[in-house]
Amino acid sequence: MSAPVEDRREEWDGPVPVPTGATVPFWAGALEGDLRYQECDCGHCQLYPRAVCTACGAEDPPFEDSEGVGTIYTYTVCHVPGEPGFGDRTPYVVGAIDLAEGPRLLALLDAEPADLEIGAAVGVTFWRVSEEAAIPVFAPE
Amino acid sequence: MAEPILAGVAESELGETPDRNWLDNAAIATVRALEDAGCSLGDVDGVAVAGGNDYMPALVLSEYLDLDEPSFLEGTEIGGSSFEHFCGHVRDAMTRGEADVVVVAYGSTGKTGPGRDQSLEETHPIDGFVRPTGLFRPPGAYAMAARRHMHEYGTTEEQLAEIAVATREWASMNPKAAQREPITVEDVLESRQIAEPFNLLDCCLVSDGGGAVVLVSEEKARELDVPEIAVAGVASTSTHRQDISEMPDMTTTGAAVTGPKAFDQAGITHDDVDVAEIYDSFTYTALVTLEDLGFCEKGDGGEFVSGGTTAPGGELPMNTQGGGLSYCHPGHFGVFVLIEAARQLRGDYEGDRQVDDAEVAIAHGTGGVLSSSSTVVLRREA
Ligand SMILES: [Zn+2]
Repeated sequence: MSAPVEDRREEWDGPVPVPTGATVPFWAGALEGDLRYQECDCGHCQLYPRAVCTACGAEDPPFEDSEGVGTIYTYTVCHVPGEPGFGDRTPYVVGAIDLAEGPRLLALLDAEPADLEIGAAVGVTFWRVSEEAAIPVFAPE
Repeated sequence: MAEPILAGVAESELGETPDRNWLDNAAIATVRALEDAGCSLGDVDGVAVAGGNDYMPALVLSEYLDLDEPSFLEGTEIGGSSFEHFCGHVRDAMTRGEADVVVVAYGSTGKTGPGRDQSLEETHPIDGFVRPTGLFRPPGAYAMAARRHMHEYGTTEEQLAEIAVATREWASMNPKAAQREPITVEDVLESRQIAEPFNLLDCCLVSDGGGAVVLVSEEKARELDVPEIAVAGVASTSTHRQDISEMPDMTTTGAAVTGPKAFDQAGITHDDVDVAEIYDSFTYTALVTLEDLGFCEKGDGGEFVSGGTTAPGGELPMNTQGGGLSYCHPGHFGVFVLIEAARQLRGDYEGDRQVDDAEVAIAHGTGGVLSSSSTVVLRREA
């Protein structure tokens, strides 16, 4: 897959990810529209990226490209901004997304709250928020 | 195995303490708790502290109180449940004969102190995944868990609100409680939206303040003229830390593990529990913890708390000082559930504020974003 990457650098005042250690390949992929997760030789899939596999202990489990689709495990509508730069955005939706490959990811949901329900299918896009990183944002399929 | 005796409890001033820092509040609570126990600073040979804005809190408080070479030092930080967790380590130390008088302390300036650092730290790789979502933490994280519980079990916002209403009833009898005006379910549902499904009255207060408890060995307790409140069971665990999406099942907390262990150690069943002091950072925190501790079946928490079950005169008196929802919440509420459990078991109160003949109490702490759980069973010795 390769999902759209919107350049939001001009308007983004929120926190920006700082690629470091095991997360570097994830953020590099995101800039290209690829949602990467770690899939170990033992079969275990994981996010956030870590230097070890949490199932078998293998070091530096390799990255794979996700299909970028999943379902909403749960979500909340934030009426109070939780971070700098989110004051003009309320109400906004944050979801926990179960990717088809297994890992669960916290992400902004670009959707009207009334259109959302737990279990609904969502797909990823990316917002580029810095020179170094684009953040995954999900929307109903 | 030793059963430490909870010999003294105290708070510092609660609410707003602009002229104090966290350490002042922890120290004030400590000396007051020692006085309550009939001990002095010179008796103290152990200190356990968490939640301060310092990475060596046990050393900082020991120095501040000028303790004389304490043999027991604890600074493990597992959030709001740290103080319940400490009770187990104190028990171990007393079993080994390493300490006789241990202070467990907390202090905070959560309300008037400086806000948290707004820069995106690189200390944990998950920060880059969580903070750019803008999630208002902790309320938004707990709200997501509550939403999932509503989805799986049909729990309603009205049922969550029942907890806030019952807790406020208790607060109305506590002069130290910040919020004492009675409220209704409608008041909760109509209060300002914070992070759906939570409204303002589903969320705990933000306070300054400190609290402390003094745990002494059985030998030391015999020297002191105090009611003997024994730590009869303790267990702790964690399921995740930084990000609610790392919680394997948002409808089940670590209390499902720690509750049965602590109950088993103490040799009690749910019917023995006279009063429950259950960490209530949010209405949902208390609801899911009651389920996980086994006071009702999983998923039946909403039904269980309906109709005043946890209110004064109810079947299970809970958060009898008004809880984090109405009494105070300086950040790590866990020390305050121990304080109130002890006071109920000592029979410190009068009238409806006192649970009749309370002999066994549960003090349950929660930390992080539903991340850590620690259960303590306290028992008044005959
Ligand atoms: Zn592996």
